[in-house]
Amino acid sequence: MSTDPLDRPWRLWASVAILSVFVFSVLFGFVLLPIIQGRGAGLDAFESICRALGLRPGSPAAPQPASEAKAQPTTRVAWSAELMQALDRPSAIGAQLAAACTACHGKDGRSVDPKLYPDLAGQSAVALYKQLNDFKSGSRLSAVMAPLAQPLSEEQIVAVSAHFAAFPVRSLPPAQMPAPSEAIERLVARGDPTRAIAACNACHGEQSGGPPEAPRLTHQGAQYLSAQLRAFKSGERRNDIYSRMRNVAAVLSDSEIEGLAGFYSTTFTY
Amino acid sequence: MAIGEEAIVRSELRWAAVSIGVVSLIMLALIYAGIVHHINPPSNIEPIDPKTLHLSGEFTEANLGTRVSAEGQVTSRIVATQFTFQPRCIVLPANQRVTLRFATPDVIHGILVTGTNVNTMIVPGYVSQVHTVFTRTGELLMPCHEYCGLGHSEMFATLRVVPASEFKPDAQGRVSCDAR
Repeated sequence: MSTDPLDRPWRLWASVAILSVFVFSVLFGFVLLPIIQGRGAGLDAFESICRALGLRPGSPAAPQPASEAKAQPTTRVAWSAELMQALDRPSAIGAQLAAACTACHGKDGRSVDPKLYPDLAGQSAVALYKQLNDFKSGSRLSAVMAPLAQPLSEEQIVAVSAHFAAFPVRSLPPAQMPAPSEAIERLVARGDPTRAIAACNACHGEQSGGPPEAPRLTHQGAQYLSAQLRAFKSGERRNDIYSRMRNVAAVLSDSEIEGLAGFYSTTFTY
Repeated sequence: MAIGEEAIVRSELRWAAVSIGVVSLIMLALIYAGIVHHINPPSNIEPIDPKTLHLSGEFTEANLGTRVSAEGQVTSRIVATQFTFQPRCIVLPANQRVTLRFATPDVIHGILVTGTNVNTMIVPGYVSQVHTVFTRTGELLMPCHEYCGLGHSEMFATLRVVPASEFKPDAQGRVSCDAR
């Protein structure tokens, strides 16, 4: 099959075009643009070309002052894969230790007085672990919980957290379920972009992909939930990492706090 | 009906011209952004452990915000986390070189400051650093621009750029929105 004469000049010019684009890109990207941009940053031409080529390190970080700031009073908890796996395994030690909790939190992790004490049944083990640790370190203040948490070792905290997480949640009588207001439901599911309030669901929803320590909020007493939200709002409670919860609670109105607490205390889902 | 060889080549050339035109237009836009807006890739590579970011060192909660060093260097340290910036309001002086340092303990975030060329990703494990000079005063919006989870659309902070005369560091060299 003979070569089509129409193809020949086309191939030549295509090669020339590609080659010139390549040469232009190299010249522009490694020479021209570094010189132009380097001038604004006070760099001479040679230095900026070397940096563009990767021969010299780019603007090194200014030496940062050594900081004395420690995590107190936020939290001392840090997550790791091993810890997460350990929190998935209920153990016999956990069941023994849990005897100390039953007077308030109930035998199966169902609170004897939901107004004051949260339900632990079905709560996320990760959330329980963090709160117990924070009670122990003093990041979360409680006259009742601090002396109970302080003698616990790391392994004991893991065991008791995994123990309560394994219980099924309490069942709520359907008669207690008033329809939530539209505004509250919107806060839970959509948040409020104008006030930078992320949807509650973004962290507290099941499998939400938010911070691992976010607790489950359903099946808790309304009074307990609103007391915690108010404590976050006033800054009295401050063991949330990087103000995740304080920033939200700070812009919630009192009626929204009551509404949200009511919503979560009477809902199965989320 | 048969189409002639010449007609096919003409059609191919026409379409080649269109696609070359589109690519050239995009390239010109990139070149324009590079020269006029000084858009460039970040050049600071500085690792940091995201798991213990909040426990000690530079990015603990107590250390965040704007701080002026003894040499007069203005640095603002900001943490991006699901789904908030800490601090949420940052004060910076106008017409002065400032350094913004970002880190995250959880997932990939990103920021841009509206109306400026400040634009960077915030990747777990690294400190993102931007040097800039803000020329306009006022409140600038700094939204998260990398999808980071369900609360992404509610995640933003405010940069309050004030004239140098109103930028008053306290005894520790700190400046915060609450103090004003």
